[in-house]
Amino acid sequence: MSQDFEPRIIAFCCNWCSYAALDLAGTSRMKYPPNFIVIKVMCSGRVDPQFILEAFRRGADGVLVAGCHPGDCHYIEGNIKALRRMTLLKKVLEEFGIEKERFRLEWISASEADKFVKVANEMLEQIKSLGPLKIEEVQIHG
Amino acid sequence: MSEALRIGVYICHCGINIAGSVNIKEVVEYVKNLPNVVEVRDYIFMCSAPGQEIIKEGIKKCDLNRVVVAACSPTMHEHTFRNVLAEAGMNPYLLEMVNIREQCSWVHSDNKDAATTKTKLLIRMAVAKASLLEPLKEITFKVNKNVLIIGGGAAGLSAARDLAAKDFKVYLIERKPVIGGNTSRLGRLAHTELKGIDVVRELSKQILNNPNIHLYVDTELANVDGSVGDFKIKLIKNPRYVNENCNLCGECVKVCPVDVPNEYEFGISKRKAIYLPYREAYPPIYTIDSENCTRCFECVKVCPSNAINLAQKPEEIELRVGAIILAAGHEPYEPLTGEFGYGISNKIITLFQLERMLDVEGPTNGKLKVNGTQPKNIVFIMCVGSLNTTPNAYPYCSRMCCSSTIKNALIIKEKHPDANIYILHRDIRTYSRGDEQLYLKAGESLIRFARYREAPNVIVNPDGSINIRFFEETLQETVSLPADLVVLSVGMKPPRDIDKVRTIVKVGCGPEGFLREAHLKLRPVEATTDGVYLAGTVTGPKNIIESIESGSAAASKASALLIKEEVRVEPLIAVVDEERCSGCSICIGICPYNAIRLKTQENVRVAEVDPALCKGCGACAASCPTGAMQQFGFKDNQLKSQVLAALIE
Repeated sequence: MSQDFEPRIIAFCCNWCSYAALDLAGTSRMKYPPNFIVIKVMCSGRVDPQFILEAFRRGADGVLVAGCHPGDCHYIEGNIKALRRMTLLKKVLEEFGIEKERFRLEWISASEADKFVKVANEMLEQIKSLGPLKIEEVQIHG
Repeated sequence: MSEALRIGVYICHCGINIAGSVNIKEVVEYVKNLPNVVEVRDYIFMCSAPGQEIIKEGIKKCDLNRVVVAACSPTMHEHTFRNVLAEAGMNPYLLEMVNIREQCSWVHSDNKDAATTKTKLLIRMAVAKASLLEPLKEITFKVNKNVLIIGGGAAGLSAARDLAAKDFKVYLIERKPVIGGNTSRLGRLAHTELKGIDVVRELSKQILNNPNIHLYVDTELANVDGSVGDFKIKLIKNPRYVNENCNLCGECVKVCPVDVPNEYEFGISKRKAIYLPYREAYPPIYTIDSENCTRCFECVKVCPSNAINLAQKPEEIELRVGAIILAAGHEPYEPLTGEFGYGISNKIITLFQLERMLDVEGPTNGKLKVNGTQPKNIVFIMCVGSLNTTPNAYPYCSRMCCSSTIKNALIIKEKHPDANIYILHRDIRTYSRGDEQLYLKAGESLIRFARYREAPNVIVNPDGSINIRFFEETLQETVSLPADLVVLSVGMKPPRDIDKVRTIVKVGCGPEGFLREAHLKLRPVEATTDGVYLAGTVTGPKNIIESIESGSAAASKASALLIKEEVRVEPLIAVVDEERCSGCSICIGICPYNAIRLKTQENVRVAEVDPALCKGCGACAASCPTGAMQQFGFKDNQLKSQVLAALIE
């Protein structure tokens, strides 16, 4: 496995909690790996599993979906809807042979910039040790 | 859109905040070659007046139909740049912002190459999304000038008073048969001769007989439709069974055969099924507790004013209001049976029961007696139900119990100077104005304070006597105190059926069940749902001063909305592609706001979004099996274009 493998990770962040946590990480001058590319949605409940499949298909090595903590959702329970979908999606990804470390759903509140940094570092380390996603396998099973 | 795309990209240096760790020159050169980009400019502060001018000029000169601004977080300046587009004659929703400060230069300042590469990538994604943006029209609503206040306690009364003074029409609803909430049950308040009921009387004086205020007691919220500026409210007025003809003669009470614990007195006295909670209760009309009434009709027979009607039914009331203030209050924590011996011995009571006993108008006329005798050794145990003292306790501090305990200990000491009073605490938090002096005065009055860490053990001996054993932190030894009366200083907890109300009004709650404000520090009396405000202890423990303050604050925030003629709402809501919709109704079940309906057109059933109700979460779009349901500003193709642009080599 190449030492200089730099994974590309897509992070879907909800506007109210996790995106705000990223802003806080910025204003607090925290450091996290540049491998995380954020796509803003209003709510984690907007994240269609097909976006995640699309990301893996197009070469992402990992995907993170981040929403508000249960009970804190700006839209009452969009995060719970995300949880239901993502639980199912995890099983589908497993069937596709995509390692479970490559996809995470996390609750990150607007004040938890440190949690985002922790999750980002953990995820990056795990994906680095897994190496690049083998797209061929995905296509065979998919 | 058939028109050829002409995208302008504007890159901000933010002084050195961005330019210090991103090679702007390199980024500009890169962006010039992105598809459909016809102009790229960079400037030291794009949000400044000259910066805004650069964008406006670009829009005119290059006839731009999309704008990308790479600068700070959209939370900061999206609004600013949307206005710039509007002023230049463009639709403001043809803007896409790139957060290259918070998400790039600030967090990757240790690696300029990485920051520059990521900046290029983020702008590439934004250009891709911008190409697919559509012009959107803002939604406007006329603002209804009425306001609904839920809860007639100190906070709700204070909000009603302030809004009525500004000539807004107030509908004040209270679930219980009388107004005043928990405040009305408090005894003498600290630093004043006033009792809780006096505070309620003073607040009520200013709202009763006020033509701007419509009071509904026995009334619950049943449904809320609509949104900020125009809520459609449904209320249920439960039967009281006694009408305004009641003149409080009390004949009914004499004949009522039912005896139940009086909740107003925290169960230390009994009441009948037909009752008035307390002497000064408003409205001054008896009420019948239908749960305990045996329907014997004795009261009906004796009532001289013909005021009782046991056949009364619940009534539905419909209202339209522009704003809602939720001031549903709290409930005192009630210890479990056996928690600190509660419920096992009548010598163990809560702080609120003590307040009622010390009140001269209370059930014991202010006499502190246990089994007929005056208790000599009185032990208060603080933090009951708070700070995780027991497995059943809540994790938070209830704020008012320290001061309230000390205040009551001093009242007892005033009346009975020879009483031995101990206060067992984990920590003393007498934070409110003047309360620290009360603490000092308690020390001077020889009220003894002892500190525990592990919950004290309340031992009820076979002869009925009580001992309290605990490890005293200062002495570092186990102490055993005899007690003739144990007072448990209980805290506050969220009201029992708050979940029902908050689901109707659509307000989130924290892990303990108190409601969450839109922002703890910046928007403490606003809910995340526009047009809904929070006041009093519904967001967490508060003393009376703080509750009244927050009632006034919520009223002030609400009036800032009500004074407007119309409100504008961002149009980032759901939209249906009718050609693709199969009428499967999955989205209807997903929508938390009942904003989607099925309509039949040309014999085909398709979904329809009510723009007044949709809040733009996009959950329906994620659930649509055909892709017919979309969200403006976050359509499937727009989000996928970002994914694609992020991953192309």
